[in-house]
Amino acid sequence: MAGGQGGTPEPITRLIEAFHRLPGVGPKSAQRLAYHILRVPEQEAAALATAIVDVKQRIKLCSRCLNITESDPCAICTDARRDQSVICVVEQPLDILAIERTGFRGLYHVLHGVLNPMEGIGPEDLRLRELVVRLKEEVTEVIMATNPSLEGEATAMYVQRLAGPLGVRVTRLARGLPSGADLEYTDDVTLSRAFEGRQEI
Amino acid sequence: MAERPRVYKTEGVILKRRNIGEADTIFTVLSEREGKFDAVARGVRKARSRMRGHLEPLTRSRLMLAQGRSLDVFTQAETVDPYRNVREDLERTAVALSCVELVDRFTIEHAEAGAIYHLLVALLEALDEGLQATVSRHFELDLLAAAGYELQLGACTLCGGRLPAEETLLAPAAGGLVCANCRPVAGEGRLVSVAVIKVLRHARSVEIREFGALRMPPEVEAELRAALGAVVRYHLDRELNVPRYLRDVEALPG
Repeated sequence: MAGGQGGTPEPITRLIEAFHRLPGVGPKSAQRLAYHILRVPEQEAAALATAIVDVKQRIKLCSRCLNITESDPCAICTDARRDQSVICVVEQPLDILAIERTGFRGLYHVLHGVLNPMEGIGPEDLRLRELVVRLKEEVTEVIMATNPSLEGEATAMYVQRLAGPLGVRVTRLARGLPSGADLEYTDDVTLSRAFEGRQEI
Repeated sequence: MAERPRVYKTEGVILKRRNIGEADTIFTVLSEREGKFDAVARGVRKARSRMRGHLEPLTRSRLMLAQGRSLDVFTQAETVDPYRNVREDLERTAVALSCVELVDRFTIEHAEAGAIYHLLVALLEALDEGLQATVSRHFELDLLAAAGYELQLGACTLCGGRLPAEETLLAPAAGGLVCANCRPVAGEGRLVSVAVIKVLRHARSVEIREFGALRMPPEVEAELRAALGAVVRYHLDRELNVPRYLRDVEALPG
């Protein structure tokens, strides 16, 4: 499209289209963002552009835990103060941020997905092979922190079966009621698990 | 077509889901009255969603929906049966999902599917009660029949002649077993053993629970599975996703 849409200069059309491809950004928001960039000082726009390029050029996956990192192995894997015998298995790198806030001080392993047989996502599409290699090292416990969904549960059970013969203890995060939940609307499985995991106060 | 009510209630099994946007999910449901349909649950991925646990795949739920512009919207959901023993067992989850995938492929949106709904519920109940995974073979035969592809097992599908007790051709194009004389015109198929023919006939004459109590030698079970898998693939004209996963799971130690 030479000249862009309806007289809009071509560079702006290109920027609108680029924003529009981002998740959750509709055509109107894309236009607003593009015209916003047009108004900001040049350094600010350049900083955004550099940040985007840097993320693509400097961020890679840690060869041990497969978390996103700038240095390989990542800062978590090389931190000698962390417990090297416990691995917490998560679906996505973002899950690590949430778990770090809890004060967990072991290591991680990112699967980059969960088993989703209906969509054709099987064990070979997850980073399970890398996990099995690590389990043969000095690991004593694997904590499965996949989501409590059908797919997350299946993935946890799958890993448990892989790890069993290696003599590694596999645990699963407890399931129960989230803060602010309504008992009335809680599903049966969650409520039964909450009962099973009840504790003395 | 009669005008649909703006808000309606139904009961259905959640087949699958697809996330959209920040916190919404589109669920595919098979219900007794509405057939298979897609509907969206707004904000269902937020921690405080009241519907979240009631809309997991392989759950049977009572649902309330409101008509939307393109997709209907869930307004309430309550679990009828979560089939917990199924979802807490890796093999049974895989078997149930393989049947759900077949249901998804053999049904079209908003078409009548009451019979298929009851077959799926019976299958999930059988698996939940701990019956053998072979109940899925019974389900496959019933599903083929409900979808209009019932296998003819009593006599030759083409000439109606008697079938001697011997290895016989199972030809999906012809629609069932074919005698030796008709073989040249039966199209593609595979030879099945006398034992498998007996099991197929037995499956068509008994309920799923009774079939689940039948013990068969592993080689008969494997042959039955392959034979029915070929028939299903012939009618769908495509490969399925879950069977490969099921084989991965079965190959696991322990």
